[in-house]
Amino acid sequence: MGFQELKDNYQLLRELMDFIPDVIYFKDKKGRFVMVNQAHARGLGVKPEALVGKTDFDLFSKNRAIKMAQDDARVMDTGKPIIDKVERATRPDGVDNYVSTTKIPRYDNKGGVIGLIGITRDITRRMQFERLRKDKLSIEKKLEALEELSAMKSEFISTVSHELRTPLAVIKGLVTVVFNEVVGQINNKQKEVLQKTLDNAERLKKIIDDLLDISRIERNTLKLHYSLVDIIDLMKDSEVFFMKLAEEKHICLKYVYPPEPVNVFIDADRIRQVISNLISNAIKFTMDGGSIKVEVKILEAKVRIGVIDTGIGISKADLASIFNKFTQVSKLPGAENKGVGLGLSISKKLVERHKGEIWVESKAGVGSRFYFTLRRFYTLDMLGKSVRNKVSRLMKDGVSMHFVSLLILNCSEFRKRMKIGSKSLFKDLHAILDSVLQNAKYAGTDKQAMSVINPKAGKFSIILPGASNRQAANISSLLKYKIKQYFSSNKVEDVFITIGSLSYSQRVFSHDDGFSPSRFSIKEIYIGSEMRRFKRMSFKTNIKLFLPAEKVELSESVDVSEGGICLVIRHLLKTDSQLRVSFAFPENKEFIITAKVRVAWIRKFEILFGEDADKYKVGLEFVDLENKYKKVICRRLMNKS
Amino acid sequence: MPKKRILLIEDETDMVYALTLQLEAVDYKVLSATDGQAGLDMARKEKPDLIILDLMLPRMDGYKICRMLKFDERYKQIPIIMFTARAQEQDRKLAQEVGADAYITKPFDSKVLLDKIGALLKK
Repeated sequence: MGFQELKDNYQLLRELMDFIPDVIYFKDKKGRFVMVNQAHARGLGVKPEALVGKTDFDLFSKNRAIKMAQDDARVMDTGKPIIDKVERATRPDGVDNYVSTTKIPRYDNKGGVIGLIGITRDITRRMQFERLRKDKLSIEKKLEALEELSAMKSEFISTVSHELRTPLAVIKGLVTVVFNEVVGQINNKQKEVLQKTLDNAERLKKIIDDLLDISRIERNTLKLHYSLVDIIDLMKDSEVFFMKLAEEKHICLKYVYPPEPVNVFIDADRIRQVISNLISNAIKFTMDGGSIKVEVKILEAKVRIGVIDTGIGISKADLASIFNKFTQVSKLPGAENKGVGLGLSISKKLVERHKGEIWVESKAGVGSRFYFTLRRFYTLDMLGKSVRNKVSRLMKDGVSMHFVSLLILNCSEFRKRMKIGSKSLFKDLHAILDSVLQNAKYAGTDKQAMSVINPKAGKFSIILPGASNRQAANISSLLKYKIKQYFSSNKVEDVFITIGSLSYSQRVFSHDDGFSPSRFSIKEIYIGSEMRRFKRMSFKTNIKLFLPAEKVELSESVDVSEGGICLVIRHLLKTDSQLRVSFAFPENKEFIITAKVRVAWIRKFEILFGEDADKYKVGLEFVDLENKYKKVICRRLMNKS
Repeated sequence: MPKKRILLIEDETDMVYALTLQLEAVDYKVLSATDGQAGLDMARKEKPDLIILDLMLPRMDGYKICRMLKFDERYKQIPIIMFTARAQEQDRKLAQEVGADAYITKPFDSKVLLDKIGALLKK
């Protein structure tokens, strides 16, 4: 080996020694340092040369130095290396850490031990990580145990409730027999007593039903049976019943509905249960002479149902737990005010299963406002009662339902700007729809495809019972293609035509056959010079909310649609209150959009296991958004997809 | 016209007692059995006009009894009402599969039961 080569190799070793973050040292047989690297010296706050000839006894505490010397002696006596020995150590700056040490013996060319080489590495981070992993594992185990316990409890509740039913049925049956004078005449006083007995048996039954509901929800065995219903029809069904109940307490109960039907895909029984729960609570907690308003309000892509009373209200302390299980905040005397407090928590779960929100605003002594929302597929609003019934009937039989809807946004404006006359335009669209329907002959079904048309509103819909997802998708793209073709061959100047589509789908359970989920999907095709209104996009940007009392809240991420915005905030806002917001899109920070918004819905933001995060998710709708801003938002939403 | 005869197969004797009182009140003749095998035997021997059948029974469950009657040419025309637990989809589905004419969920309203019986006997 030539000198230059030796020098190069030495240089390489030097670099390794000086730049490696691990501590490296060479010791002689007496434990004196022959050579140490930069890392070792740096750790002790000296130059490497200063350590030559020193021993661990000069550098560390006596106890530690003794241990180190013992290790050294073992390596040199036995010739066996120590590898990766993990120890606690204290750094010269006083910080406790973990180190891993490897010591290997050095030999002379006759095979005699002349010292050792040591490498020590700081593994504090690795150890911390390891500890975190262990903590996580143990927490996960505990969590699992808790979940198991909770499942057992639900199972128990379910079994007990089932067992309670039979004796209850016997009691009801026997009392009914006496009440109906089957086993002999009874006087009026006795009848009164039995009526009370029956009323209370009924109450007990309701409690057992609630317990079963909650255990079913918790065990995830509650199945929803969807059908297509007009929510107003559904509410009208129980109007008379609640009117009578309110009248008895001299409460003025008022229903406020939008003028047109509001078709929603829901489990009608379950949503009726939610509405009944809210209204009967309102009646229960409102004093004689008070008033209750039940309203249905159409939001951007949701329907909101509100029950607003002038009752006793809920105190701030109770408000936080009002949707929790077994919460009963009433402190009023009288048996009729008591319950197990499951109604609202069941309602919450049912609404959530429908992908809606539920929330409450209340002030003790003033009244409460309960709201919940349901998703609304607004192209379905044009389906009349007969179509609705047909759809629901087919779904009950487990037939999949697919809707392909065509919607002209801002239809009256669109018509004005088109040079094709309205009449022939709709005739053409109708023809396109018919030809697509002709193509909708999918194999293996006797279910008739239907079309529903409302030219005035610019809504067209094809209903495909029993189609597969793919068949529905094919028909949707065929329709989209034909529409595109139509507009490009009838090119009209000054009209900017965009076609967009959205689809929703869901597995639903049909009524009589709980185990074969049928599908339901809606594909919506939009035409218009406006943007697809209901497309929402997420942006990371700064948004300012101007709250009452000159407060300002900043938020960083926001969902924007043409109709409004949705974000998570710390302040609780009042439903239907108005405020101002300002924001800009990330790539054009100079262009600031400011708008008046209305609080459409708000709900507590929950992290895992229903824990509150002290934040709220809120949907804000634009009120009279200025045209220049509207245009920017539309353009932005279009570009993104 | 002779009284219509209803066979009640139910193991809860108090339930049998309560139901019997109610059914007799509206002029039905009630036969009863409190276990599955006895119920099946009685159904074959007596050929009642209608059977009310509980699901969970000792010695033979309600599904089996229903299947054995409904798949037998001699007895299949006898209407069967099954008791099921509310909203237990499996129960309903099974009841339908084994050929029950109707099901009613416990605890039931006696008027609902009487209406169902009336409708089935009219057919």
